[in-house]
Amino acid sequence: MELLCLEMDTITRARPDPNLLRDERVLQSLLTIEERFLPQYSYFKGVQKDIQPFMRRMVATWMLEVCEEQKCEEEVFPLAMNYLDRFLAVVPTKKCNLQLLGAVCMFLASKLKETRPLTAEKLCIYTDNSIRPQELLEWELVVLGKLKWNLAAVTPNDFIEHIVRRLPLPEDKLALIRKHVQTFIALCATDFRFAMYPPSMIATGSVGAAICGLQLDSADQSQWGDSLTDLLAKITNTEVDVLKECQEQIERVLESSLREGRQQQQQQQQTQRGPSGKGLDELDQSSTPTDVRDVNL
Amino acid sequence: MCRTMATHKRILSALGNGPARRNLFGPVDREQLQVEYQAALQKDLEEASRRWGYDFISDKPLENSDFQWEGIPGNKVPLLYRSCMFSLGQTGVQSPAEAKVDPSKGGRVASPHSEKENIPGTPERRAFNLEKLEKTPERGESTGVKRKQTNITDFYQAKRRVVWMPRKSGE
Repeated sequence: MELLCLEMDTITRARPDPNLLRDERVLQSLLTIEERFLPQYSYFKGVQKDIQPFMRRMVATWMLEVCEEQKCEEEVFPLAMNYLDRFLAVVPTKKCNLQLLGAVCMFLASKLKETRPLTAEKLCIYTDNSIRPQELLEWELVVLGKLKWNLAAVTPNDFIEHIVRRLPLPEDKLALIRKHVQTFIALCATDFRFAMYPPSMIATGSVGAAICGLQLDSADQSQWGDSLTDLLAKITNTEVDVLKECQEQIERVLESSLREGRQQQQQQQQTQRGPSGKGLDELDQSSTPTDVRDVNL
Repeated sequence: MCRTMATHKRILSALGNGPARRNLFGPVDREQLQVEYQAALQKDLEEASRRWGYDFISDKPLENSDFQWEGIPGNKVPLLYRSCMFSLGQTGVQSPAEAKVDPSKGGRVASPHSEKENIPGTPERRAFNLEKLEKTPERGESTGVKRKQTNITDFYQAKRRVVWMPRKSGE
């Protein structure tokens, strides 16, 4: 008979500090330093010869799945992608080493952000043992060197609370909004087009997309005074046009990702059941398990 | 019962046997990887040598560098940077050369704990772990032994003296 331990696995986490979140200086400092952690080049046009944008997406999707399965803190995945992009912007990398790089970046981001970080062994298992823990540790050092040990990068997640707290939002909807914003941020991290955008812009665009998606902006127009976009733009000193464009881009990426998810599911179900006459609506109801599905477009 | 199932599911999913476990881009060329790793380290070392005007392999300052290097006794070097992590009993004067991180090992100190990659390698912790039979302190586990909180000043004592600031009367 197997024994099952029922001790609760609670995670120790600091509570959000109102002193930090209400202080204008914290947000201003984040805005000042965020540019320092952006990748230096659009690396597919120059540095990288062997790897293509779709490969970045493959490794990003895999990293997101691992982070979700391991219930990592939300910012681990975007932070790992920041390391990956900064490394790829300076080091020509072969396709066959891209997954190793992804694993190293998750390893570092998890150590920086989590009370109980991912282990090298676990990450190697997720690569289907195509890399060994020893190799992961060796390349950890190489990646750290290339990042100049600057690991505490600003991520879009750092801005969520600062933005949300400055908006007149219904208290009972906050948790849902946060969840949607985090999903949008993760989605942006998987798409190379967002890799060179400042994190504050991604965060602001994601908050805008979340509020519009949940149709909280149309419920009571009067509460916003200015339009939502103007208000958002003011909070993070972003230009209104740029922010609008960013939000629309996020919505397009979301739409195409949803469409893809649906197609994949359809294919899976067709291969499972054979091409029987299942209606689209039926397929649609058995949605993908991600939060993205909840969004009302 | 519901809770039992949830826990059970979590344990199962923690094994990484789901679809997330996959090899994305085919087999890795191990020998080539090792060659690239060594080359990358070598390059980092050369860059560091140029930057600091110091030959980290022969452990001697380079000529014509922008820096003036000065030897200091090993016991003035912060613990973190000493190469011998286990000789805690030896608090006598070490030679300046001894008190350096060995860059040929990639700046990492070889130790029997290297598989516990998540534990910062400060001497105090290592000693502590030896007592605890190489067990990683897990969350929620009552460690029982109280350990002195490491202060940042433990590591920066040496630097603090260099900075030209009048000392506070309390110091």
